[in-house]
Amino acid sequence: MSPRTRELGLLLPAAVVGLLGAASVASAQSRSLEAGPVAVIGVIAGLFVLMHIALRLRAPQADAYLLPIVGMITALGMVTLYRINPVLAREQVLWLGVATAVFIGVLIFIPDHHILEQYRYLFGISAVALLMATVVFGTNISGAKLWIRLPGGQTIQPSELTKVLLVIFLAGYLRDKRELLAIPTRRLAGIPVPPIAVLGPMLLVMGTCLSVLGLLNDFGTPLLYFGVFVAMLYVASGRGAYVVAGLGLFVVGAVGVWAVIPHVQTRVDTWLHPFSDAQGQGYQIVQSIYALANAGMIGPGWGQGYLLATGGNYVVPVLDTDFIFTAYAAELGLLGAVALLCLFIVLVARGFTIAAQAPDGFSKLLAVGLATTLGIQAFVIVGGIVRVIPLTGVTLPFMSYGGSSVVTNFAIIALLAVTSHRTRVPYRPRVPRRVRAEAERALAMEGAGE
Amino acid sequence: MNRSISRVFWVLSGGFVLLAFALGYWQVIHASAINDRPGNPQAIQRMRLVARGPIVAADGTPLAVSVSNNVSGQVVYHRTYPNGTFAPQTVGYSNITQGSTALELSQNGWLTGDYGAESLLVRLGLRSKHGAAVHTTLIPAAQRIATQMLAGQQGAVVALDPRTGAVQVMASSPGYDLNKVDQHFASILTQPNSPLVNRAVQQGYPPGSTFKVVTATAALQTGLFTPTSMFNDTGSIIASGQPLRNFAGEKFGPNTLTFALTHSINTTFAKVGLALGAERLGSTMDAFGFGRAPSVDLPAGMVVPSGRKDPKLNLLPSNQAGEDTARIGIGQEQLLVTPLQNAMVAAAIADHGTIMTPYLVQRVTDTGGSVLMTHHDTVFSTATTPAVAAEVTTMMRDVVQEGTGTAAALSGLDVAGKTGTAETSRTGINDAWFIGFAPSSAPTVAVAVVIENTASQGGVVAAPIARAIMQAIIARSN
Repeated sequence: MSPRTRELGLLLPAAVVGLLGAASVASAQSRSLEAGPVAVIGVIAGLFVLMHIALRLRAPQADAYLLPIVGMITALGMVTLYRINPVLAREQVLWLGVATAVFIGVLIFIPDHHILEQYRYLFGISAVALLMATVVFGTNISGAKLWIRLPGGQTIQPSELTKVLLVIFLAGYLRDKRELLAIPTRRLAGIPVPPIAVLGPMLLVMGTCLSVLGLLNDFGTPLLYFGVFVAMLYVASGRGAYVVAGLGLFVVGAVGVWAVIPHVQTRVDTWLHPFSDAQGQGYQIVQSIYALANAGMIGPGWGQGYLLATGGNYVVPVLDTDFIFTAYAAELGLLGAVALLCLFIVLVARGFTIAAQAPDGFSKLLAVGLATTLGIQAFVIVGGIVRVIPLTGVTLPFMSYGGSSVVTNFAIIALLAVTSHRTRVPYRPRVPRRVRAEAERALAMEGAGE
Repeated sequence: MNRSISRVFWVLSGGFVLLAFALGYWQVIHASAINDRPGNPQAIQRMRLVARGPIVAADGTPLAVSVSNNVSGQVVYHRTYPNGTFAPQTVGYSNITQGSTALELSQNGWLTGDYGAESLLVRLGLRSKHGAAVHTTLIPAAQRIATQMLAGQQGAVVALDPRTGAVQVMASSPGYDLNKVDQHFASILTQPNSPLVNRAVQQGYPPGSTFKVVTATAALQTGLFTPTSMFNDTGSIIASGQPLRNFAGEKFGPNTLTFALTHSINTTFAKVGLALGAERLGSTMDAFGFGRAPSVDLPAGMVVPSGRKDPKLNLLPSNQAGEDTARIGIGQEQLLVTPLQNAMVAAAIADHGTIMTPYLVQRVTDTGGSVLMTHHDTVFSTATTPAVAAEVTTMMRDVVQEGTGTAAALSGLDVAGKTGTAETSRTGINDAWFIGFAPSSAPTVAVAVVIENTASQGGVVAAPIARAIMQAIIARSN
């Protein structure tokens, strides 16, 4: 069975889950048997078929599991969004359309991901520039200045796009310098230190990005970037010392930020003692915990939980973005929530498999970076919700409402697909017929000369 | 590179396993503690969606019912009390702002339908959950008489069926309207004399002379005395270095034990108490149920045990060596007795020395009417032998016929009883008691009545209430 046929077959369960989920939400709300928005689900299924066809044409040997897993997470996310806010769900279908276009665009314009390697510095500089632009043109939404408002009134979140640019930059940069990183020349306080010329540009880009995000009052995204950076550095160098140094830096940085910024101290206090200010700072997380606890093992089922107060107001604030996981787990219970976590870790595992199978350092680093991005992002927001780490607002990939997030994450899947396809089918650029004829002639003449 | 790649993956997987465990903690392990937190809107909403079962009196009179409302397409329920002032401290309330109390709390599992018999439609959320109906043992006619006659005073009434333990009346005054709890709770809280307290089971009073029934039972049971044992009353005796006098300074001269109970002679019962000593008197008290409280189907801990209490109201053992058994014998010395316990004393004598476990819930039925639970009578304690009980019954009959309790006499019926007037710390202010049962040959009702802070005596203010209640209950069973 070809990977593409397998992919198409595996997309079916996602469609079934989407149909049943939307039907159960609609039935619960009308208290009678309803089919739900079948046409909208048809549109979403159509978008996935389009992506499938694009893969068939442009990357036929790409990994067969990426799209089905993403399809399933999208189905769960769309049903959850439809349950809490049908208007936003319809808007999100539009964003899915844009994401599909970007997905197909990546497959068309980037036939081989190695092309990206030569532009690595451009990607690094663009990442910094984009974040800088956010500082200048940004709009403040719910306490953080992370969005740029477009003339049409929509907002985009550059930090979502930046994460892909950074991964490409780091993959290219680290591939280039990995020998120098692996064999350090000097030691500083027992820690091997590579020449500053090797580390400099990379640290400059990372440091700028993290501090700019700090200025924007965002602490989830820097956590994500930093995690991805340390993971890629470790894979490139194979040296645990970098991880130790990275974690040390992280602790110093985190304590420093905590000591200096009162807002962060409140965050940490809320994390440790949410119930001591349940009506104030702890309101979000406490309401979320109430909703989670109410669900129990199997949960009341889609549409049956208490997520909307009278008038359609969310019982838990920002339920459609940061707390979409709560909206989901509050109705499908522990079993449903763990199933969703499994989907994410399997998706990450596919990315790592692609990395392991890839023949060259750049492909490996790129795949690891992209997969780690998805994994850490899911961990940061879910970890914040279940109080494993302090709560920071990042989106849950493929689930949260929001255009920037869904478009970027589908671009990540497209890049992973290209990477896996190129592992099996090395890229042979198409050569114009005239050039090829001339080359053949030259070869023939060489042969005649002997 | 692949080794580092797999290591990074395992670290990430470990993180996700951590997330799964944390989720399990919040959603399953710690969930019930979270659900019980006050102000949890999820729990409040769950409450609103359940059609709580009704609570009804013995004759089916509705005491608590749920009414459905349609709020923006969703059927929600709220609790109302068709007879809101009917035994409010016993029925209890259940609402979002104030939580639940009394039967509404203790029977919550039945009332909310949490007994594992949900239909598929309920599970799918297509039909709302309907709770079971709780049928109580309260007899409305008698309960209403108790409420009316207690009105304007502080006090309580408990009536038991001595043959089964069924609580026929449990009244506490002042009362309040259960329908006002949700919106006007503050006004109930600010009313004088704590209407929320169920004085029948939550408040202990000095039993005064009603305790002489227990002392007399101990006296006969030990064989040290008979109903005709002779005593000589000089108006006072010295006990623990302090003089102990009769009520109103009376002097009776030579008297029998029966005569002493009839006229409530303190010196005689003080002598009996001294002769019995702590061990014998204490073990009879324990046999009457002192020191441990039956739940009466109310929430755990609501019913307080009776017995000797230290100043902080901690229960002391009934048979503490060195205690002043002369004063205990006449119902003093830090003795605090609930109206329920004193009704149990009367019921023990009425039922040949056996106390049946008091209960409020006769049966539970589902919406279809089928019985989910029926009460089975059990013995709570054996207070004394049938022979002693018969002797004490005869003595208590004299109290009503010619002694201090004549106000409880019912024409054409044999009533047995005992009055009590316990002096409080304020001079001239008493807690007035009457305990008794009727008909004394084959009792169907045992009653205890207490009136707080009255200038009058048990025979004057408490006995008439007891009479009216016994009359109502006997009229019903005929």
